[in-house]
Amino acid sequence: MSDKRLTFKKRLHILKHHYRGKKMAPAFNALHTFLFAPDETTHSGSHVRAADDLKRTMNTVIMALVPVLIFSMFNAGYQHYSAINGFPQDFSLMNDFLTWDNFWIGIIKVLPLLVVSYGVGLLVEFIFAVIKGHEVEEGYLVTGMLVPLIVPIDTPLWMLAVAVVFGVVIGKEVFGGTGMNILNPALTIRAFLFFAYPTWMSGDKVWVYQAVERAGGPDAISGETILGYLAQNKAAEMSYSVSDMFFGFIPGSVGETSTFLILLGGLFLIFSKIASWRIMLSAVIGSLVMGLVFNGVVDAGWIGETSKFYGLMSFEFWKHLIVGGLAFGIVYMATDPVTGAQTNRGKWFYGFFIGFLSVMIRVFNPAYPEGVFLAILLMNVFAPTIDHYVVRGNVKRRMKRLKNATILPKDSEGKANELHAETV
Amino acid sequence: MLEHIELFFKSIFIDNMVFAVFLGMCSYLAVSKKVATAVGLGAAVIFVLAVTVPLNWLLDQYLLRDGALVWLGPEYTDYNLSFLSFILFIATIATMVQLVEIVVEKFSPSLYNSLGIFLPLIAVNCAILGGSLFMQSRDIQTLGLAFNYGVSSGIGWFLAILAIAAIREKIRYSNVPAPLRGLGITFIITGLMGIGFQSFGGMLTGGDEAAPVKEEQQVVNDKVSKIEKKELEKKDIEEKEISYNDTINN
Repeated sequence: MSDKRLTFKKRLHILKHHYRGKKMAPAFNALHTFLFAPDETTHSGSHVRAADDLKRTMNTVIMALVPVLIFSMFNAGYQHYSAINGFPQDFSLMNDFLTWDNFWIGIIKVLPLLVVSYGVGLLVEFIFAVIKGHEVEEGYLVTGMLVPLIVPIDTPLWMLAVAVVFGVVIGKEVFGGTGMNILNPALTIRAFLFFAYPTWMSGDKVWVYQAVERAGGPDAISGETILGYLAQNKAAEMSYSVSDMFFGFIPGSVGETSTFLILLGGLFLIFSKIASWRIMLSAVIGSLVMGLVFNGVVDAGWIGETSKFYGLMSFEFWKHLIVGGLAFGIVYMATDPVTGAQTNRGKWFYGFFIGFLSVMIRVFNPAYPEGVFLAILLMNVFAPTIDHYVVRGNVKRRMKRLKNATILPKDSEGKANELHAETV
Repeated sequence: MLEHIELFFKSIFIDNMVFAVFLGMCSYLAVSKKVATAVGLGAAVIFVLAVTVPLNWLLDQYLLRDGALVWLGPEYTDYNLSFLSFILFIATIATMVQLVEIVVEKFSPSLYNSLGIFLPLIAVNCAILGGSLFMQSRDIQTLGLAFNYGVSSGIGWFLAILAIAAIREKIRYSNVPAPLRGLGITFIITGLMGIGFQSFGGMLTGGDEAAPVKEEQQVVNDKVSKIEKKELEKKDIEEKEISYNDTINN
């Protein structure tokens, strides 16, 4: 086994050398780097040797996403069979959820989404690398994993492919590739799907496997998301308990349902210092604040039960965090180091407004019960502005500090006096 | 009070001058290379809108609209001067811009220099005239609301140009493909920012109730127009055939 791999590696190495300096070189280089750890060292310039390169960073995020992906495959089947047979009376994890039947639905529905997302996205990346003549960037590794997790399960594969091409080309490559984009590519893909094919992205038919095909027939099934129920003021018809919402046994986009696993992934990302805890924390605070405001409006009796905002406004503020894509968005999307705010103080503002706007769009915009991705896109747009003003503020503060600082001349013993600087 | 808040929020985010109605694009694209300049121009636009919209509201109310001249006497009830709207609105705007120019030149010569030709061009900035015309067509009721509308649509434009200027400063050293450098990438950024601002589209008005009706109507309209088109095409073909036959026969 090991011999075979070695020879393959060697063959790839020879191939790489053969194509060095030619047009196809980036493609072979990327293949080599992707499959094996390259043992070549650079020969020019000075370099800092660090373990956490871009590839390692991306792999860490993917590791944090794998539990969510596996859960989503089981959940795909669970939602499908529950929509047909009704939800099981006394739920047991092993008998009702972690079954081979459930997983099989996940394999035939979720896996193709993943394959198409990676296949099309990496193809576009390879083409661009060959045209531009630079190395293939690892940037798509995380995006390709995120995309299948944030779309409804019945999204047609061609639709996903079109959206991925749009997202990678317009959202990233035209800006010069990984690290240069202004909007999160995965969210650009989601937004493209949402606005180009709205009927496939919302409603009560798209969240469960086969619901669209069976619609109108005698065996029709449907699964409305919790936010969908609330937006239609039908909270009473919902049969999901809080623990269902938290552990994720609810309909929704493929990977967004399990707040529990997302939380674990988020902690993993914080401990590995890949994602910013400031953004996550402030986004949670922002959404709680907005939820509290809406609860306050309901408690004060300013809106009646007939109002179309009542369902979502009266939803307890902390429950906003465990339904829909808010948790997923906060942990995996908002913390994108490229498109988010890059200054520490800016991160607080950026995260706060993401949480704040997400809940606000959820409540006020009945057309988009899932406003998280739009809120993050909007804050992506304003992140450079926030950074600009944080940096200007820092410059101003230091200038002021410099002005107030009085540097005393050295005394007779040649020792410098302390700097009397006012800390502002 | 509530209608003031609603109008304020609506004209900044939902009916944003740049991303919802695509007005004022020329200066938005041209003066957004640096944040400082963009802030200057944005502030000028806010000021001009805040002054011209209420002024034009007064003009509209007491001079232009149908029966507005009634305060001169009962014999003027039938006069309708609204065909003069464009020229009077533009005259007001041009005067105000001249005033702003004089003030800016006096108090901030550096801003005056960096704004360059675009300061006088505010006079023909479609966002400014658009503000007055929207004020007229949306039938804004009081002077206070008109002022509110002017200020808030100005703030919407200001936010847009501020955001794009910061983004353009950020991507200054990006390796953008050569054909797209400059205006091309700016257009793409504007489009992507428009997607971000879509989050407010249909807010407060209640998207899901109004939209399906519209869609149905549109579908019906489309069908009707398609049928009409097909008939027209058929007619065309028949006529052609007839003329063709005629030519052959002749």
